[in-house]
Order: sequence, then structure tokens, then C-alpha cells
Amino acid sequence: MRFHPRPANGNVNVPKTHPLAEMAWLAGGLFVIIAVVYLLLTLLTGWVVTALPVEAEVWIGEKILQNDPGMPCEPLQKRLDQLVACLPQNSSLRHYPFSVRVIDSKYVNAIALPGGTIVVFSGLLKEVESENELSMILAHELGHYAHRDHLKRLGKGLIFGAASWLIFKDGSQPLLMPFAEIMEARYSQAQEERADLWGLDLLNKRYGHVGGSQAFFSRLLEKGDRGKFAHLLASHPHPGKRIENLVRAAQKKGYPMGEVQPVEDDIKAFLKRYCNIKQS
Amino acid sequence: MSEFLLQNLNFILPFFLLILGYSAGSIAEKRHYRSIERREQKFLALPAVTLKDVQDNEKTSGQLVIGNAVISIDYFKRALAILRNIFGGRVASYESLVDRARREAILRMKEEAAKAGAHIIVNMRIETSAIGQSANRKKQIGSVEAIAYGTALIKQA
Repeated sequence: MRFHPRPANGNVNVPKTHPLAEMAWLAGGLFVIIAVVYLLLTLLTGWVVTALPVEAEVWIGEKILQNDPGMPCEPLQKRLDQLVACLPQNSSLRHYPFSVRVIDSKYVNAIALPGGTIVVFSGLLKEVESENELSMILAHELGHYAHRDHLKRLGKGLIFGAASWLIFKDGSQPLLMPFAEIMEARYSQAQEERADLWGLDLLNKRYGHVGGSQAFFSRLLEKGDRGKFAHLLASHPHPGKRIENLVRAAQKKGYPMGEVQPVEDDIKAFLKRYCNIKQS
Repeated sequence: MSEFLLQNLNFILPFFLLILGYSAGSIAEKRHYRSIERREQKFLALPAVTLKDVQDNEKTSGQLVIGNAVISIDYFKRALAILRNIFGGRVASYESLVDRARREAILRMKEEAAKAGAHIIVNMRIETSAIGQSANRKKQIGSVEAIAYGTALIKQA
């Protein structure tokens, strides 16, 4: 046998496809699949959440409260009850045993927990300058209950977490998380806007005007703008956008802008007492 | 700007590593293939065959020659392979690594044989192993090793 040395013609072992093209196909395919699953989950949780009776929700809420009780706030409770009294008799919110609790935190935020417990951060309470602002914030949280947003977020978070864990058991999950966070933030921004508008209606019923509904966001805007990009990932819309939406809605519905009432002393007294308890 | 970068490190870091992995990885791969092709041309006249025995009337002596090479994956290839693991199919991003490791190992074996003055390598065998098992795991470096060995036949004077 004679050996004839010849260079290999081409290489069958290495694929001709460009790696970037392959990446685009695979990542694009994954994106489409996740988007479809996400949409289905949204529809599914939306359906489950509307069917869930308030009693079951209260039970879930009690489980959550066992972990972080906070402190019941009588002055805020009084204001919330006044707002609830303005709701129509057949409103679904009438079934909720609403309560307000305060948690010591520097963050300016309030949360609607399942079962009708609204948690207000003390950081927010310190920022409030008028009764109308305070009512707007509570009305906004009531808006979340009216749309059952708090349950949707809870349910979807659980299902999405479980699904991504099932796909990426080995810990490659972070690949997916940025995508999920952006989707979730966008969705929750839409929820916040709806809750704002719902709160505006209730505020008008309570005071007969919507004065003070935007003052709180105006101050947020003045205090520090974190830049346009930070809001892409934030759970709440840009304060400027919220003001714009509220003004437009108030004009469209013909709500008048009235005088605001300064914060009554009971809130300040509560804060003082609360801070003392915390310090001791 | 720096605050934005810090806040979104989770998003920026993998993206940066992907670009780095792709650019550095493809430059290294192109250079390696150019070098492989040049050296394969150089050693074309020194055959390496899998036959156990060749008919040779001349007096020859035999010598074991070994060449091995370890090639690492990069971040981009790993990301591509993770995506491929979901859908299934040909893991193209790893195929070029195996190809490079195998050809590099044979070339190194031939270099050793050429130094010994061999005119042919018989009974050549190639083996591969993965270094850093389960290369898709986080915080683990995945590499492929190829080892080529055979008997170099050297003509006796």
C-alpha cells in the first residue's frame, strides 16, 4: 500500500453556522416561549385570583402577618374607615376587614397585603404634608384591593419562580431573571397607574375635590430624580408620569381642585410615640 | 452613571462577559486554526496511521510518541451550550473545541516523532476527557483534553 499525503479538503467536524446567528435563533426562541408562558400564567392567575373568595385571602393574609406584625395605627385606621365609608354599598371591598399597620423603615412606600392589611412605612408617614395626600395614598392602596393586584403579584411570582426553577434546576436561573424582572416591573407599573386613577375617584368622593392628589409625587420629583433608566426597572412609574396621568384624569372627569387640609396632630403624635418605642 | 452601573450589575456583568467571551474566544480560535493548518501542511509527509503494523523491509526501531492539548470553553460558548441544552440538537459551540484539541494533539505528537527522526507513526490512538466535569455548572471551568499517542518508526542506519 502506498501512502499519498494530501491536505484535508474542508472540515466536516466544525459547523458552518455563525455562532452569533445560532445565539440569535436560540435566545429568540427562548424569549418567545417565555413570553407565551408568561402571558398564559398572567391569564391563569388573573382567573384564579378573581375566583378566590375574600375569606381565603384573609387566611393567606393571616399567615403572612405572623412573620412581620408591625404596629397597628389607630389614626390611620380612622382615615381608612372614612374612605371605605365613601364606597358604594355593593362594593366588593366592603367584605374586607381592613386594617392599617406601620413598619419602621426609611423607604417611602406602602404595601397592600392579602386579607386587607395595608402596611405603611414610617418613612412615607414622615413625608406626608396634608390630609388629602394621606387619603390619596390610602385610596391608592384600596385601588390595589379593588383590582386584586396584590394577589396577582403574589400568585404569579410563585408560579414563575417554580417554573424557572423547573427549567434551570442547575442554577442557570440568573440568565432568565433580568428578563422576568423587566416584565414584572412593566406589569406592576401598569397596575400602579390603574390604582392611582381608582384612588383619584375615591378621593373626589371623600372631599368633593382632588386637591393634594399630586402634591406628594411633585415632592418626590423635586427631591431626587434617579434618572430615566432606573425607572425602567422600578416597580412604580416615574412620578412625573403619575402627575401627568392624574392631572389628565382629573380634567377629563371634571374633578375640581380644592384647598388641602394640613395633617392633624394625631398622626404626628403617633409617629412620636412610635419612634420612642422603637428607640427604647 | 456609576450609580446606574452598580445598581444594574446583575444585567451588565453577564452582558459584558458575553461580549468579552465572544471577541476573545473567536480571535483565539481563528489564530489557532491558522496555526493548525500551517503546521498540518508542514507535517503532511509524516503520516500517522491507525494500522498496527506496516510492511517494511528496512530495519526500524519503534518509539512511543504522545501529544496532548487542553482547550477551554469561553463564556459565550457556554451560554450558547446552555441554550442548546434546552432545545437539544448539535452543540456546535463545543464541536470546534473538540476538533481543535484533537488536531493540536496529533500535531504535537507528530512534532515529537519528527524530532526523533521518524518516517511514520503507526497504531495511533486518540482519547478525550473533560476537565472540570459538568462544564455548564456555575463557577466551574470546562475544558476538553485530547491525547494522541502512537508508535513512531525510525529507520536504522
